[in-house]
Amino acid sequence: MNGKIVKNQQISAGHFLLRVTLAESFKTPMPGQFVMMRDPGRIDPLLGRPFGVYGFERSQEEVTVEILYKVVGKGTLVLSRLRESDFVEVLGPYGRAFDTYPEAGKVVFICGGIGVAPITYLAQHYRSLAAARDVELICYYGASKAENLVGIEKLKRICSRVFTSTDDGSHGFQGLITERFSADISSYAAGSSKIYACGPRSMLKELSELVAGNSVFCQILMEERMACGIGACLGCTVLLKDGGGRGEHARVCMEGPVFNIGDIHWG
Amino acid sequence: MKNAGPEMQVDIGGLIIKNPVLTASGTFGYGSEYVPYLDITRLGAIIAKGVSLEPRAGNKPPRIMETPCGMLNAIGLENPGVHAFIKEKLPFLRQFSVPVIANVFGETIDDFKRVTELLSESKGVDGLEINISCPNVKKGGIIFGSDPDMAHAVTREVKRLTDLPVIIKLTPNVTDICLIAETVEEGGADAVSLINTLTGMSVDIERRIPHLANVTGGLSGPAVKPIALRMVWQVAKRVKIPVIGIGGIMNASDALEFLIVGARAVQIGTANFINPSATTDIIDGIEDYLKRHNIDDINDLIGTFDEEGNAC
Repeated sequence: MNGKIVKNQQISAGHFLLRVTLAESFKTPMPGQFVMMRDPGRIDPLLGRPFGVYGFERSQEEVTVEILYKVVGKGTLVLSRLRESDFVEVLGPYGRAFDTYPEAGKVVFICGGIGVAPITYLAQHYRSLAAARDVELICYYGASKAENLVGIEKLKRICSRVFTSTDDGSHGFQGLITERFSADISSYAAGSSKIYACGPRSMLKELSELVAGNSVFCQILMEERMACGIGACLGCTVLLKDGGGRGEHARVCMEGPVFNIGDIHWG
Repeated sequence: MKNAGPEMQVDIGGLIIKNPVLTASGTFGYGSEYVPYLDITRLGAIIAKGVSLEPRAGNKPPRIMETPCGMLNAIGLENPGVHAFIKEKLPFLRQFSVPVIANVFGETIDDFKRVTELLSESKGVDGLEINISCPNVKKGGIIFGSDPDMAHAVTREVKRLTDLPVIIKLTPNVTDICLIAETVEEGGADAVSLINTLTGMSVDIERRIPHLANVTGGLSGPAVKPIALRMVWQVAKRVKIPVIGIGGIMNASDALEFLIVGARAVQIGTANFINPSATTDIIDGIEDYLKRHNIDDINDLIGTFDEEGNAC
């Protein structure tokens, strides 16, 4: 359906916060689900672009979806040029959501760069669950430099502790967020801790090595180029390890975008 | 009681369909993916994703790349194999009372023959579309559809084994697509469909690597439409069997161009990825056009292209 842009604001170099109002028939996305967006009527770029949901509100009259995105190519560049009152096509919500555990002791979020967007929506979901009132939310957030730690203030309001890392040391630990996380990993017991991550493939691969051999629950949100977003084109597959139960290839749009980290074949 | 709309029914090689809008193989899965987004019962026919004798895992990712006004794909014909198709996919497809056309491909003529036999015996399909855009492993990997003798042989062998209407899907990656079309007509094809994707590629200049793991892929989308239209026009003039137009059809206007130059029906492919209800939107748009032009029967529109119309 078409939505109306109420805000499409640059919040840091190359990073935008997009807020779109939609008809109330739009389903409430579960954390980890995504939407396909495109500038309607265009054939270049042709395909929609998948974005993990960053925020969502439902009132009597309308629903509002929020996307936090980084300009990385033609699709996001075109999106960034849309203005208030412009229409944007929004399909979804699509995909498998994160599994959540209100009875968990500690919930740990690990995000790299723009991977912060769907993780923030998940963190907010945990915070909104009455049954999860006692869960401790801890976040590890890495970016190239301080100004690219977009949305960190919101995360600080949701999580009790937020650790950061930057490549240049301009905020928090200097180095990779997985290095920062590995220093604390022993404090997250397998039984009571749940780990969720989203970020560059290299970060997720690194994390898979850190948690390998440990039975801690760890779900990750993967990204791939997509055409349809609904499971038909088979374009967005990732390789699973043998015995993953879903065959060798899994569609990020249907079997994912959320996967158990141990199921991915990193190659 | 019949609706007071224009007649939309067409005959594609003995298969009567209620309107000329079909789904292109590989863009509509096995139907189930689209159930939430459109009324499948309205389609002229469903052409299912291609099946081979044995299951195929397909290519490694990345499998797709967007290019200007189009996309490249190298899925690698991932499919569960003909046995699983008949057992697990076909019963679902049958429930809509829409003709189901199975799309068949193989790496040897024997593969094509065996899959044809199995599908014909299954009694669950209404027609076969034969994808001859794949390499013949017994002939050094030459594409079946690029060699007139091989294209003829596949058509003849498949026709010999089935009573179902047989549509041969042609590749545009040839010097003269009309020659191949004529050859498969001689071989007994009931219809031809064209075009399959155009082979292309795209390079990541920062890393100097291909964007697709398979290096090359098939180009589809609006970028290919003018080429597809030209080929359909040429082939429709050269063969007597029905021609089904495919290539970058995004809306009813695009579909009408194909029908006017001689396509008996059209297939909608990449458009399904952008608009899951593209097919039914196109059916509505064609009907509106016929009403607007006071055409009672779509067959009175097909092939009415006036080549000299713009000459001074």
